[in-house]
Amino acid sequence: MTAPAPKLPDRLLDAYRDAVAASTGASRAGVDELLRATTSTDNAYAALTGSVDSLTLGGLLAARADAARLVEDDGITYGQGSDGRVGRGWVIDPLPLIIGSGEWTEVEAGVAQRARLLDALHTDLYGERRLLQGRRLPAELVLAHDGFLPAVDGIRHPGTRQVLLTGTDIARGADGRWVALGDRTQVPSGSGYAMANRRITARVMAGLHRRSPLVRLRGWFDDMAQALQAIAPSGVDLPRVVVLSPGSTSETAFEMAFLSTLLGFPIVESEDLTTRGGRVSIRARDRIEKVDVLLRRVDADFSDPLDLRPESRLGVTGLVESARLGNISIANPLGSAVLENPALHTYLPTLARDLLDEDLLLPGPQTWWCGDPVGRAHVINNLESLVLKPISRRIGPNYFGWELDAAAREELRARIAARPWQWVGQAPVSVSTAPIVRRGGLEPRSVIVRTFTVANGREYAVLPGGLARLAAFSGQQSIANTSGAITKDVWVLARPGGETPLVDLDIRRPRLLPERVPVGLAARVADNLFWMGRYAERAESTARLLRVADDLAEDHAARPHTPGEAAMRLVVGALDALTGAASRSPSVLAHLRSLLIDESTPGTVAWSTMRLVLATYEVRDQLSLDTWIVLGRLERALRDIPGDEEQLQPQLGRLLESLLAVAGITSESMVRDATWAFIQAGARLERAMTTAALLRLTLGFPGAPLVEGQVAESVLSACESIITHRRRAASGFGPTDPAQSAVAIVALDPSNPRSVAYQVAELQRALTLIDDAERQADLDLLAAQLHPDRVDDLFADERKPLRDLLSQVETTLRSTSEDIARRHFARKAPQHNLPLAWSSAAQVPR
Amino acid sequence: MSQREEDFVPRRYRVRHTTTYDYDADVVGCYERGFLSLRDTPHQQVVSLDVDVHPEPDILATHLDFFGNESYYVEVRTRHTTFSATMTAQVDVEWPKTDVAQLNQWTIAQAAALVAGPEGPDPVTAAAYLLPSPLIELGPEVEAFAARLLPPERPLGEALADLFGTIYREFDYKKGATSVKTTLPEILALRAGVCQDFAHLAIGALRSVGLPARYVSGYIETFPPPGQEKLEGSDATHAWASVWTPGGQWVDLDPTNDHFADSRYVVTAWGRDFRDVSPLKGIIFTESKKSTMDVAVDVRRLPAPG
Repeated sequence: MTAPAPKLPDRLLDAYRDAVAASTGASRAGVDELLRATTSTDNAYAALTGSVDSLTLGGLLAARADAARLVEDDGITYGQGSDGRVGRGWVIDPLPLIIGSGEWTEVEAGVAQRARLLDALHTDLYGERRLLQGRRLPAELVLAHDGFLPAVDGIRHPGTRQVLLTGTDIARGADGRWVALGDRTQVPSGSGYAMANRRITARVMAGLHRRSPLVRLRGWFDDMAQALQAIAPSGVDLPRVVVLSPGSTSETAFEMAFLSTLLGFPIVESEDLTTRGGRVSIRARDRIEKVDVLLRRVDADFSDPLDLRPESRLGVTGLVESARLGNISIANPLGSAVLENPALHTYLPTLARDLLDEDLLLPGPQTWWCGDPVGRAHVINNLESLVLKPISRRIGPNYFGWELDAAAREELRARIAARPWQWVGQAPVSVSTAPIVRRGGLEPRSVIVRTFTVANGREYAVLPGGLARLAAFSGQQSIANTSGAITKDVWVLARPGGETPLVDLDIRRPRLLPERVPVGLAARVADNLFWMGRYAERAESTARLLRVADDLAEDHAARPHTPGEAAMRLVVGALDALTGAASRSPSVLAHLRSLLIDESTPGTVAWSTMRLVLATYEVRDQLSLDTWIVLGRLERALRDIPGDEEQLQPQLGRLLESLLAVAGITSESMVRDATWAFIQAGARLERAMTTAALLRLTLGFPGAPLVEGQVAESVLSACESIITHRRRAASGFGPTDPAQSAVAIVALDPSNPRSVAYQVAELQRALTLIDDAERQADLDLLAAQLHPDRVDDLFADERKPLRDLLSQVETTLRSTSEDIARRHFARKAPQHNLPLAWSSAAQVPR
Repeated sequence: MSQREEDFVPRRYRVRHTTTYDYDADVVGCYERGFLSLRDTPHQQVVSLDVDVHPEPDILATHLDFFGNESYYVEVRTRHTTFSATMTAQVDVEWPKTDVAQLNQWTIAQAAALVAGPEGPDPVTAAAYLLPSPLIELGPEVEAFAARLLPPERPLGEALADLFGTIYREFDYKKGATSVKTTLPEILALRAGVCQDFAHLAIGALRSVGLPARYVSGYIETFPPPGQEKLEGSDATHAWASVWTPGGQWVDLDPTNDHFADSRYVVTAWGRDFRDVSPLKGIIFTESKKSTMDVAVDVRRLPAPG
C-alpha cells in the first residue's frame, strides 16, 4: 500500500507566506528568515527561494527522507535512548538557513568580540579579580555560581587566550537585529554536529549547494586543531592532544568521535588516563604516554575527584594539580562555566568598555539580576511579562512568567526571595522563524543559531556557519535539543571573490604534524576492539549454525525417529551447548527463532549483535565512517525480523549479508596496525574456539553412519566449507568418510579460511602486530598438532585423539584469551575516596 | 574547657600531627590534598615547619589557595599498605582577650550594614563568607535560630557570646551522632554534634544575619586530668568559627568550649566550611576493601623563646 501523494500547493512559497501570517504564539511579532530572503537583492537568496519552488514539496520531502537515511548511515546520534543506549533523535531539515555576507560580517565581529570579552573576564576572575575588588562586577554574582571553582584559582596555560572555545546562541529579534541569547563556555558543543549537518545538506540539496557561493567550514576545524596544539606547555615540540570524553553513552558521543576524526586527536576516558609525577598520561601496556593538551568534554567539576567533586568517576585524579604545575593545558580551562551566567548580560556592556575599550556589538536580551536590589524589585513586580532563569542550568528550568498561574508565581517569588542571587528576569525575545518541510507543506518554526569560535593566537576565528535549531512544535518558545529540536545547516554566503575551495565533504585528517611513532592503544580501547571482533564472529557463527539447524528442523522436526530427525537433534543440541541458551519452547522452530531475536538472553544472535554495537560505540574514533552504514544495516536487519511464523531463512540470509559486511570492513578497509590486530585476534580466537567446540559436540563420538553423514554435511555447511567437501569428494581427493572429510577441511586444512588451523596461524600474526610474544610457543605447538596428515590418527581409538585435540584447542585458546585480557586490558585499580569523616581520633573532650 | 587569664599569655608551641592510613592490600596510587602547615595570622607566627610523608612521594607541591592557605598536593605511586604524613611545626601564639564591651558599641544590624560599606571587608571576602556554602546551607531553621540569638537590635559582643554559649549549653557533644553529610537543620533537630557541626551552626547563624563568617581549622592545647601525665598524641584537631566585626577585626569564637579564642588556639587554615580546609583528603587506587585511619596530634608548650 502506498500513501496518497500529498496535495501540492501551486506555489509553496505563497502557501508558506499565508502560514507565517496565520501563525500564532511568540513568533507572531517576529521576522521570518525565508520571507525576509525573498525581498533581498542578494542573488544567493534568490537561488534558495527559486529552489524551494522548483523542487516542489515532493522534492523537498524526498530530500528530507534522504537526510534521515544519511543520518542513520553516518551514525549521527544525539542524546540517550530509553534503554541507556545512544539516542537516534537527530533530525535535519533539508532547507538551509542562509545568512548573507554583509550581515555575517556583523555577526562574526559580534560573536568574536563576546569571546574576547569572556576570555578577559575569565582571566580576571581567576587572577587579580580587579573587577570584583573594584565593585564593577558584583562578587556575589560570580562566587554564587556553581561554575566558579576556587580550587582552580590562579591556573593559566601558556596560550594568549585562556578560553579557547566559545559557543554563542544568537537569534534575530523583531527589529531584524541579531541578539546573543546566551554563551556556552563549559563544553561548547555543536560544531561537530554543524559539520555533520553540512555534509548531509550538501548531498540532499546538491544542486543548490553547487550553485551557492558558500564559505566552507573545514578550515575552522584546522584552526581548532592548531589552536589546541598551540596552548601546549612550553618546551613541548610535538604536543599530544587528546579528547576527554565522559563515555560512549554521553549525549554528544557522536560529536566527540566525529571531532576526534576531524582533528586527528584520540578520544580517551577517565579509565585511560593516570597521573604520575604530576603529569597526566595515557595508560597502555608497558608504556605511559604523556598528555600535553586536553580537549575537555567532561564538565569541569567532574574532571578531578581529588580537587573537585569527590564522587566523580569521569575525571582524572590529579588533573587540577597537573594543570597548576603547568604540565597540561586544558581547553576549555577548568572554571570557565562561570561565564555562562545569564546575569552577566546586565554587566557585559560596561565590562566591554572596561576591559576592551569597545562598545558591545552583540547585546543580550534585557536582563535583570535579582542579586541587585533594583533588579530584584523589577523582576518581582513584572514576573508575568518576563522569562525567569536560574543563573545556572543545574539549578532548574526556566519559566515564562506569562504561562504561570497566580499560585506558581507566588511560589517563584518566594524562591527568588530566598536566594535572589540565583535568578534573573529577561525580557522575552521574539525570535525569527524559518520554514521546516512537513508533509502538508512548509511550516514556520522559531529558530536560534549556535555560533562557534576558537582562539587562534590573539584573535578568535568564528565558524562560518553554525547549528540552527528550530522548535519541535509550532508556536514553541524554548528550543533545546533535549526537547527534540529540529536542526538545519547554516550557510554563510561568501563575499564576491571570497570563496574557499570546496572541501567540506572531505573530512580526512589534516597533515598538521610529521608522522609520529604510533602510540599504544589505551587498555579500554584494546579491550573493546578485541570484543568487537569476538562478538561479530560469535554473531556470525551462531547465525550460520542457526541457518543449518533451521533447515534441518523445517525438513525433519515433524518426523520423529528418522535419521534426519536424529541429526537435527544433534545439531540443535550443539547449538544449545554453544550458545548456552536453553530452550524454553516445546517447538524447535520457535526455539530457533528465539536464538536469533531474543536480545535479553546471552548467546543469541541478537544479544551478540547488541554487544558488538556497544563495543563499537566505545571505540567510535578508531573506525571508518563506513562502519556506521554497515552497523546501521545490521541493526535494521535484526529489527525487521518478524516474531511470527514466517520462515527464518530469508531473514538469516539478510543478517549474514550484514555480518559479512562488518567483517569486510575489518579485512578490506583497515590498516594492519594494533587497532586491526585486536579486532582480528578476537575474531580468530572466537572462530577457532567455536569451530573446535562444534566439531567436538557433533563428531566427537562415532555415530550411526546415516545420521553422521547428515551431521557432517551440516557442520561443513555451517563452516562455509560444504562446496570444498563436495568438490574434493567428487574428485576422489581427501577422505571419503564425511566425518573425516569435515575434520580435515574444517579443523586441519591451513588453506581454508574457516579452519581452526587457519585461525591459529592468523591469531599468531595478529599477536605479532601487538607485540605479544608470550603465547607464541603454545600456539606453535597447537599449530603443529593441527597437521593435515593426522586425520586417520584422530579417528582411531573411538576418536579419543580427536576429542583430545579439540579440547586442547579450546583450553589453549581460552587461556590465551584470558592472557591477552590480563596483559592488554588491565583496568585501573578501583578508585576510592579516603574517608572524609570528621577526624574521629581527634575531638576535643570537654 | 574553662578559660583563665593565663591562657592569653604568649607562648611557643611545638605541634606535631601525624595521619596514618593502613590498608589490607597494596595501594598503587595515592593522591592527597591537605593543609599540612600552619598559617601566619595576626595572632600567630610560624617559626619552623617540616612535613614528612611515607612512602617517599613522587610529588609534594604547595601553593597558596583561594583563601590564602598553604595547600599541599601529595602523590605517591610507590606500592604501599601504610601511608603517613607528619607535620612538625613550631609556632609563637599570642591571642588578645576579646573586648566584648568594645564590640557592644554596634548592634547586629549596624554591624551587618557596615559590611557593604567602605570599611567592610573586600567584596570577594564578603561574598565568600556571606553566601551559603555546600556544608552550610541557610534556610528557615537556621534563620529562626539566628533570630533568637542574633536579633537586629542586640549589641554585637553580647550576641556573639550568647551564640557560642547557647550552642555550648543546648547541644550535646556527641561523637558519631553526625557526619560530614549532616545538615544544619538536622543538627538543630538533634541538638548534638561535634566541633565541626557547632562551628558550622555558628557560621550559618552569623551569615544569615548578614555577618561574614568563616570556618577555622586548627589545634588546641589540652591538659590531662589532674595528677596524670599528658599522653603523646592525645591532643586534637579542632574547628571553630570566626566572624568579621566592624573595624576589620575577625573575632574567633569556639562554641564547643564556650569562649572566644585564646593563646591555646593554633590555626591551620580557614575557608567557607570544612570542605575547603579538611586536613587531608585523598583518592586512592587499590583492590583493598578496608582502610583504617589514625590521627595523632601533639601540642606541646615549649619554654618561652629567649
